[in-house]
Amino acid sequence: MLIRIEKGSSVPISRQLAEQIATHIAAGRIKPGERVPSVRELAKQLAVNQNTILRVYERLTADGLLQRRQGQGTFVADQLPRRRPAAHRDRLIEELRQLVHQARGLGLTDGQLHELLDTALGQVEAHSTANP
Amino acid sequence: MAHNAIEIQAVSKSFRGQKVLDGLSFDVERGKTFALLGRNAAGKTTTIRLLLGLLGRDDGAIRVLGLDPAVSPLEVRDRVGYLAEDQTMYGWMRVAEIIRFVAPFYSTWDHDLALKLVRQFELPLNAKIRHLSKGQNVRLGLALAFAHRPELVVLDDPALGLDPIMRRQFNRDLVEHLQSEGATIFYSSHLLDEVEPVADVVAILDEGQIRCLADTDTLRSNVKQIVIPAAAANLVSGIDHLDAQSGRDELAMTVENATAVCDYLAAEGITFRVNDLNLDEIFAAYVDGRKIETLNQFTNSPQLV
Repeated sequence: MLIRIEKGSSVPISRQLAEQIATHIAAGRIKPGERVPSVRELAKQLAVNQNTILRVYERLTADGLLQRRQGQGTFVADQLPRRRPAAHRDRLIEELRQLVHQARGLGLTDGQLHELLDTALGQVEAHSTANP
Repeated sequence: MAHNAIEIQAVSKSFRGQKVLDGLSFDVERGKTFALLGRNAAGKTTTIRLLLGLLGRDDGAIRVLGLDPAVSPLEVRDRVGYLAEDQTMYGWMRVAEIIRFVAPFYSTWDHDLALKLVRQFELPLNAKIRHLSKGQNVRLGLALAFAHRPELVVLDDPALGLDPIMRRQFNRDLVEHLQSEGATIFYSSHLLDEVEPVADVVAILDEGQIRCLADTDTLRSNVKQIVIPAAAANLVSGIDHLDAQSGRDELAMTVENATAVCDYLAAEGITFRVNDLNLDEIFAAYVDGRKIETLNQFTNSPQLV
């Protein structure tokens, strides 16, 4: 499980962790029933406080993405929740809002912003067809 | 066993009439990693020297593992692992020699652990200390500070002078060798980005007092920059803030109670947006913030009056 912690970011480390693990699960890079690193292992790998990792695992467990099995470790839940957790969605809306502010700052019209989003969607689409 | 590893109550300390600590108070819970942040000369090293009984306080009370370091300095130093700022060790000694030299100072010294740490830290036992790199020096200091299995480790700006790779290695050492053993870690630093991944609690020391003490997630969710139209500035003059910056059309305030301020602005019908801050920006707001009134004096902006 590849996780990248950006230091000095305005996004707290616990949120960076939670979002990246959720993204790995959503993208199927770690599969339902697969074991994720132990709190201790991940703490050592990332040089991050164990308590932070533990809190993130607890939150993702409460969201239904992870399952903690007594004495065995932490696993991706067998049955993943269908809907994205609300927090994830809120964060995306917030990022979009920031983007809109930036676009306005650059003097872009709403129409031009929609065009840019379409272009980006097209590029992602083309990239995923080229690298299935 | 006391709940707190360290208790500091209304401690003051002056040097030649200059007040360095001015009614300092805070507690460090057992098992937590506590980072004391401050600018140069904020009083970090003085605080640490008081904890170890290397200095006497003028006023107030201190308990370290339940002991008063002014009364029982040797017992405190026997039970605490300590790494001084820019610790200089005898350069002519070899790594193996300094381990044997330091061992008798501690009643609970674990020689096997010392050798194990030295091996894990990849320190050559035969090397002379003056030939070690800065990073190796810090790791040797850590090994010596931890080989007597202390319940509390006190580190004075241990990351000072380390390059980014060594700083990361240092954080990993803390997580892997100290936190995993349940030790309480109290350390000072001026590098906020490095502190966030490993600290449970951060305290900002400024002008001899704690300006703020919180876990990093709480700090980040409470302290935000809120941007409002400059025209609304007179409506927010009563809001307590850490820092204010004015642009031509907008006023950006950094506040400690973001949720309450947002509720107030929404109720008053003032449009606003909220910016997340990184720890560096939060730190700067606490120790170097400017108030709206100061802005007025300098800018004479009519919108702000």
